[in-house]
Amino acid sequence: MTAGKARLAVGVAALLLLTGCAAGGRGAEPPPAAAARTTGSTAAGVDAARGFHSTRGYRATPVPVRIGIPAIGVTSSLDRLGRAPDKTVQVPSRWEVAGWYAPGTRPGDPGSAVILGHVDSKRGPAVFYRLRELRRGDLVEVARADGSTVRFAVQRTEQYDKRRFPTDEVYYPTLTPALRLVTCGGEFDATVGHYRSNIIVFATLRP
Amino acid sequence: MRSRTGPVILAMSILAAMAACDSSPPDRSAPPPTTQVSGHPAEHQAGHQEEHQVEAAKSPTALAGQLQQYYAQHTLLAMRQMRSVLTATPAYRQAADKELEEYTEELAQIVAAKFGDAQGERFEQLWQGEIAHFSAYAEAVAGNDAAARQQARSDLLADADAYGDWLAGASGGRAQASGAAAAMRTHAEQLMEQADAYAAHDYDRAYRVERQGYEHMFAAGTDLARASLAPKAAATLDMPVEKLRAAFAMLLGEHMQLIIDTQRATFDGAPQFKAAAAQVNANSAALTKGMGVIVGPSKAGEFQEVWAHHVEGLLEYSTALASNDQAEKTAAREEMRGYGSRLALYLSDIVRNELPLKPLTEAWGAHDQHLVDQINAYAAKRYDEAQEMELDGYGQMLGLAGTILGAIQRTLSPQLPVGGSQTGGGGTAHRRR
Repeated sequence: MTAGKARLAVGVAALLLLTGCAAGGRGAEPPPAAAARTTGSTAAGVDAARGFHSTRGYRATPVPVRIGIPAIGVTSSLDRLGRAPDKTVQVPSRWEVAGWYAPGTRPGDPGSAVILGHVDSKRGPAVFYRLRELRRGDLVEVARADGSTVRFAVQRTEQYDKRRFPTDEVYYPTLTPALRLVTCGGEFDATVGHYRSNIIVFATLRP
Repeated sequence: MRSRTGPVILAMSILAAMAACDSSPPDRSAPPPTTQVSGHPAEHQAGHQEEHQVEAAKSPTALAGQLQQYYAQHTLLAMRQMRSVLTATPAYRQAADKELEEYTEELAQIVAAKFGDAQGERFEQLWQGEIAHFSAYAEAVAGNDAAARQQARSDLLADADAYGDWLAGASGGRAQASGAAAAMRTHAEQLMEQADAYAAHDYDRAYRVERQGYEHMFAAGTDLARASLAPKAAATLDMPVEKLRAAFAMLLGEHMQLIIDTQRATFDGAPQFKAAAAQVNANSAALTKGMGVIVGPSKAGEFQEVWAHHVEGLLEYSTALASNDQAEKTAAREEMRGYGSRLALYLSDIVRNELPLKPLTEAWGAHDQHLVDQINAYAAKRYDEAQEMELDGYGQMLGLAGTILGAIQRTLSPQLPVGGSQTGGGGTAHRRR
């Protein structure tokens, strides 16, 4: 059996076992007299229930268009980023402009929104040059396409070797609104033209 | 007595086995393997296995799932028991008392397995004392006895402090007494507040606090699991994968419980129904937001539409039952079947067929059946049976949530970016150091 078929077979088993917990036979319908509690309260409850509508009209949160980080003097529009063909994250095409990882969370929604920016170019500092200076409590503002602004407070700033990049902590969905800011840091490897580490700022939604 | 957490642990064990079947390299998103399954499914199906010994789950994540379920369900049972006192419904109270007692015994067995027999006994004493004081509080509110009410409040706050001391001692300092006591004080305050609100006919507040209380104790279950684990094992509970599983299990379990509230409130009156239904809608909105994180905005809107029909079908059935309209009941059941299939199709699609459609449809059908059965029993005043259905249905819902989230995790992880970002190219930042 291939790994895929084996997984599917076990998936079937899991679901069948969950189905097996159904009541089946118990919980029989009550006789009419028992069910029809013809009190005024029940009649009012029934009337209210007939007017019930489940919540609808889901509206997606607007996309982010601009970031501001007053503590380090950053203001930038935001490019949309995705995943490159080699499965790494795309990076902004301009040194002075940050980018939002669009397949992920929109800032303010549950989950971690990810904004990336370059630390430098061969000519000098880039948009996130001072990112590593951010400290707990510093403010990050993200403006959205509808004109609203969502604010985050920095919790911590960490440096990670790129070979041990905490993918789940940065990109994995959660139900808590958060923001991750990512740039490069640490040693610069001149032989390949890249830094060996990433600086990651972890921030949470400010009420 | 029987195991309530079998389906949850079972689902987690099977998910671990599914991960093990995969020949690909180890995946952080897969739950750690569990080596033991508590609550054999046949036993669970039989339903009345007396003197069943509940075993603590062995993997950290399965243990957390087990304790989240027990703590959250305890909270709801205690709230319902208090309301049965306020509404002077002794038969319902008797059913809730019985389930609270059994739940306490089972929980104490798990605690004993993790912290030792003596600690299990002490926990059981504390828990029984707390339940008695909740009852005393509800009786004092019902009897408008201010002195008795104050005494019950003092006792409950003392219970919370005693719990903090107990957990700090039992865990060898892994849990802090002050933090555990504060969590239990919040729990006590929430249960008292919902009782006060219910007695004052402020149903909006009563049901809102109920939902907060459920969510609070679901998280407290995680804290209890964490306190029983070595630091390395406890750290797995903070992994994003596990947090997502717990969050969805909490929301789907909450859905089940709020539907039960709302179905039953149909028999109680318009204000009760509206207040309970508002919390159903709040839960549905949270679930849709959560789905949006996983599947994106467009598919989240699709989920909300299918989910809305699922919820409406369940409430249409209880409305038909309360008004004794056979034709409407039949129509509601048909609608539930139709939207159960659509929901299964949606879920199977978003996990790219990791979960096969037919058993997934049947699992949603089982969820609907639990809710239909519990309201049938409740309407006929067979409260013991209604409680049994509630507890079985809650366990099944959490098990199903675990299975779905496992499939989502396997689908999601390969889509995440690999490695770090190349967000620097000049060496300037390095040179300035």
